[in-house]
Amino acid sequence: MTGAWTVEGLETRLDGFRLGPVDLTIAPGRAVAVLGSSGAGKTTLLRTLAGFLRPRGGRILRDGVDLSDRAPEERGLGYVPQGLGLLPHRTVARNVAYPLEIRARPDALRRTRELLDQFHLAALADRYPARLSGGEQQRVAIARALAAEPQLIVWDEPWQGLDVLARYELGLALHELREVEQVPMVFVTHDPGLAFSVADSFLLLRGGRVVAQGDTETLLRAPVDAFSARFVGFENVFEPVALAAGAPGSLRGWLRERAGPEGIAFPRPEIPSAKDDGPAWEGIVRSVRPGPHGITVEAVADDLLVAVRVAPDVDAPFPALGSRLRFAVDPATLRPLGPPGAEASR
Amino acid sequence: MSGPAGGPPPDPPGRRVRTGPLWLALQLVLSGSLLLLFLVPIVALLSYAPLSDIVAAAGSSDVRAAIGLTFFASGLAVLAAILFGIPMGYLLARHTFRGHAIVESLVSLPVVVPHLLVGLGLFLVIIPGTPLYGLTHALGVPIYDTIWGVVLVMVFVSAPYTVLASELSFRAVDDRVIEAARSLGAGSATAFLTVTFPLALRGIVAGLLLSWARAVSEIGGLLVLAYAVYPSGPYNGPVTSTISVYIYNIFQTGNLRDAAAVSSLFLLIAFALFLVVRVAERSGWVPWHRGDLGS
Repeated sequence: MTGAWTVEGLETRLDGFRLGPVDLTIAPGRAVAVLGSSGAGKTTLLRTLAGFLRPRGGRILRDGVDLSDRAPEERGLGYVPQGLGLLPHRTVARNVAYPLEIRARPDALRRTRELLDQFHLAALADRYPARLSGGEQQRVAIARALAAEPQLIVWDEPWQGLDVLARYELGLALHELREVEQVPMVFVTHDPGLAFSVADSFLLLRGGRVVAQGDTETLLRAPVDAFSARFVGFENVFEPVALAAGAPGSLRGWLRERAGPEGIAFPRPEIPSAKDDGPAWEGIVRSVRPGPHGITVEAVADDLLVAVRVAPDVDAPFPALGSRLRFAVDPATLRPLGPPGAEASR
Repeated sequence: MSGPAGGPPPDPPGRRVRTGPLWLALQLVLSGSLLLLFLVPIVALLSYAPLSDIVAAAGSSDVRAAIGLTFFASGLAVLAAILFGIPMGYLLARHTFRGHAIVESLVSLPVVVPHLLVGLGLFLVIIPGTPLYGLTHALGVPIYDTIWGVVLVMVFVSAPYTVLASELSFRAVDDRVIEAARSLGAGSATAFLTVTFPLALRGIVAGLLLSWARAVSEIGGLLVLAYAVYPSGPYNGPVTSTISVYIYNIFQTGNLRDAAAVSSLFLLIAFALFLVVRVAERSGWVPWHRGDLGS
């Protein structure tokens, strides 16, 4: 039912902003997350795929057919813009029916009812979008997108403005789209946690350029630079300049010896225990952030602000601000930053 | 998918935040003063003319002809605003081009220019001897002292309101909604007819109402170009003038009582018309008030 999509060397320009080249393959039933901070070109990429921006170069192919010059309505691609783009002057039912109405489908009524039932919208059929909650609006957007029988769904910020429960439910709905309907998806987000919960692979944009790409495991295991390391959630990310002045044997010196050309990242180190064989360091506590998975303590050690995890089962009072804290960095958790295959500058 | 969606539905619209008494008093005093200003001449006119005079004016064939011509000509002017003004508003809203600002300023010009000047300008190009005079006569649409002259002046002074209101309304339609519709399979024409136009309609209709009101109230340009209207083209009634010129004529003769009576009659008709429109809007049986369009 749905084909394979390939994007080859796609380039776009918009008001002086340059995006690309972007190469991407999306297999049926797969989801690609486009990540990046504001202004990275995420929405520009999506709007180019959807046909609202003319590419300056490259091709968009579906099963080998070039769609680059086709009008948006002829691409078989369901674009859900930021804010969903629900038709404010149409009820829920007439929003879902819209793609069927404009195709003059004889079974429009039956199909609309099916979709309303499938997404638990039957009771809201006569409401206008403005009177729905964020989660309800998302379900209308999904049902309406499916009514058009798209071969690819392209969704800008699916999680925007949703509360925790609605986020969870949207995650379920997206899984259903992929696994049951086998509709591949490209979505944009700036929240890596949410991206990893749905996507199989990712594309990380920065200033219009692709800085990292691959499956989600790769992004976590081998971040290419400080930006992508911070983006995927590393708190301890140090670029070469931060480590430059460290004396040999100091924390900075120790990290510098193990850093890649773009610096180094590592997960929150813990309080040293007997089994640790790495060196231990001492810092001054600057902030204490308790959470269910442990207490995150930020401590300054050798002029670096290091986030340390204090296990929740430690039956002790929270570390006091200004107190001294010992932590050990497991050498196995260190991620030298740099392009794949680059040698660490030891 | 299971269970209800998270997030409470938004508050129903129309719920208002409590206003402080001083702020409310200020609002009442300021808007009350303005309302008083509107009411003074109306009350003056209505009280000057006895009811019997107003009834008599309504029965006069001269008055009826003038009112009939006014509504007929202003109706044509509104039609012209629909035909030409709405597309122009769309063009200005959706396209950027060299000279965009100049075109916009030109469109706004008729709103600020004294209309006597407009009439004079048009007069200069249609007097006998000019190429336009020959052309309009050859085409069977003479301008001077005909309904075409009335309509021309009315379009000139009233169409800008439709153009500007349409431009604002089309611009206010969220691009993302249009793009979503396109992506769902609507071609550009379908998207315009099913999304852009319905969403802009409310503002466009407001602009058309203003245009119509402006056309009806026009006098300056008409005094020069179509002081009297002779039967020709789509108008085959008696020699008459628009209601504004008609009242001006009576006033010029010093017959204040008749001038007040005809004015009062027209005031009542205009008020009734606007009341109907407002009630229609509030009751929800006009299409553009459905669906909480961003209200």
